[in-house]
Amino acid sequence: MRVRNVLLLGGAALMMVVWTFPVLWGLLTSLKSERDVLAYPPSILFEPTLGNYADVLFGATTILPNLVSSVIVAGLTTALTMLFAIPAAYALSRLDLPLRKASGFYVLATQMLPPVGLVIPYFLILRRIGWTDTYQGLVLVYLTFALPFAVWLLVSYFEEIPREMEEAALLDRAGRLRALWHVILPQAKGGIAVTVIFVFLNSWNEFLFAVVLGGNTVRTVTVAMFNFISLEQTQWARLAAAAMAGMAPVIVLGLIAQKHIVKGLTVGAVKGGGRR
Amino acid sequence: MNRRTGERQFALALFLPALLLLVVTTTLPLVYLVWTSLQRIDLSMPWLTGFAGLANYAQLGGDARFWSSLGLTFVYTGSTVALQVAVGLGLALLVMQVKAGQGLLRVAAILPIVLAPVVAGLFWRSLVLAPDFGILDFLTRALGLGSYNWLGDPQLALVSVIAIHTWQWTPFAFLVLLASLAALPPDVYEAARLDRANAWQRFRHITLPLLRPAIVIVVILRMVTALSAFAAIFAATGGGPGSATEILNLYAYRLSFTELNLGYGAAVATVLLLITLAVSFGLFALRKAR
Repeated sequence: MRVRNVLLLGGAALMMVVWTFPVLWGLLTSLKSERDVLAYPPSILFEPTLGNYADVLFGATTILPNLVSSVIVAGLTTALTMLFAIPAAYALSRLDLPLRKASGFYVLATQMLPPVGLVIPYFLILRRIGWTDTYQGLVLVYLTFALPFAVWLLVSYFEEIPREMEEAALLDRAGRLRALWHVILPQAKGGIAVTVIFVFLNSWNEFLFAVVLGGNTVRTVTVAMFNFISLEQTQWARLAAAAMAGMAPVIVLGLIAQKHIVKGLTVGAVKGGGRR
Repeated sequence: MNRRTGERQFALALFLPALLLLVVTTTLPLVYLVWTSLQRIDLSMPWLTGFAGLANYAQLGGDARFWSSLGLTFVYTGSTVALQVAVGLGLALLVMQVKAGQGLLRVAAILPIVLAPVVAGLFWRSLVLAPDFGILDFLTRALGLGSYNWLGDPQLALVSVIAIHTWQWTPFAFLVLLASLAALPPDVYEAARLDRANAWQRFRHITLPLLRPAIVIVVILRMVTALSAFAAIFAATGGGPGSATEILNLYAYRLSFTELNLGYGAAVATVLLLITLAVSFGLFALRKAR
């Protein structure tokens, strides 16, 4: 029994190391001087420096404008998505919507589209209407993955709310709106928060649309990081610092909302939502 | 107006804005994608632009690079999904036995999931796989296995991008399956134990059938993700060396935005779209049948 426990713990520990290693190693690398980075074998004990962060945040290779771009794109996408998704999810989950099954299936199908199939027509369309490298253009494209995902995740949370709670408020049309506002929304607060986090996270992390449809004005942080490696092939420490700075918001968000994310993944998965 | 029609109209009023937005932002662009695939649009030779009928699709037949990328798509999708489910299920079963530290494991599992795929690709390319720099190179040398150019050799590069995808998304399978395992009724196990079923029999005849719905969902979601994978491969290998890791996504991208041959790129993307829809519908039909 002892041996078995040791093996189990060993397996679990190994798994933790494998999953956390690239991020932790990236953090260590970002704190090294360029000289320590190139040490072989890789050094674990070294004099930490914040020089790389100073460079990527305030130096010539600053990613601050990219962080701002990402905040705007991800923030606007999240706000618009929730504005459209909450009423739609309510109608899908709680009301006598005509063609409800087909509608739900359509939303689900739009969630499965390969992004490369969308980026080609959007490249041509946005170019024609002069919307490449604009916030409105990129946010419009981001809705294609954010909206179906949010609708399905919200549906799974709305369905968990007991029906009796809103029955009382359901008398007339105004009553239904009031039921949504005063009964459903407060009850689904947790689910809505999880949805907001996921939509923001997915928008922040998006790369393909941003690299093709963005440009010098709208360059999100994922694109900036990628440009880093192609421009500064050997400056690993700076790349690591840029990546850590760019990922800090989603890592912090992910750790804070850790319990909800696990629940969100499972609820979404069990009911058929969830992506990326 | 009676209550039922009132509710229906109210439901429509709430649902239509999102529906219209989805039709305009997803379905119409896809129609335009198919239309584009019937055109000759080569931005490096704009004077040749015009309707081409099925010429782009006819060209696919004799395009060795297309067939290779189609094959790579199946290899990549099949192997990453199988690995994620197998490893995720194995780890979930293992962790169910470990009483302490489950919370810590969940935190560790969250990290790869929240990381942008492009960063996952960049980190692996530099910190893990780079010759003379990455930790894997250090490990293989320390163990006397020699040094490998993981992303420079065609076959090793394919293994590497499969490993990166599996690393990033196995936690998803793990978390979902762990939650499903934890929700299974314990009394069935007790009964089986009294019947002297051994561990394998319990797994094979009790756990696995009860987990089947969760596994099917994980397979569906992971397949969709694998079929739309782009950023991690793009960051790690760019589809290379040569076209060794060029799955259909990468091929359609390179055709459209590197070679500026958008008409032909659209034809490749349309094929990918059809495959994705066929796989999704097939899996959903399978799910309903069970």
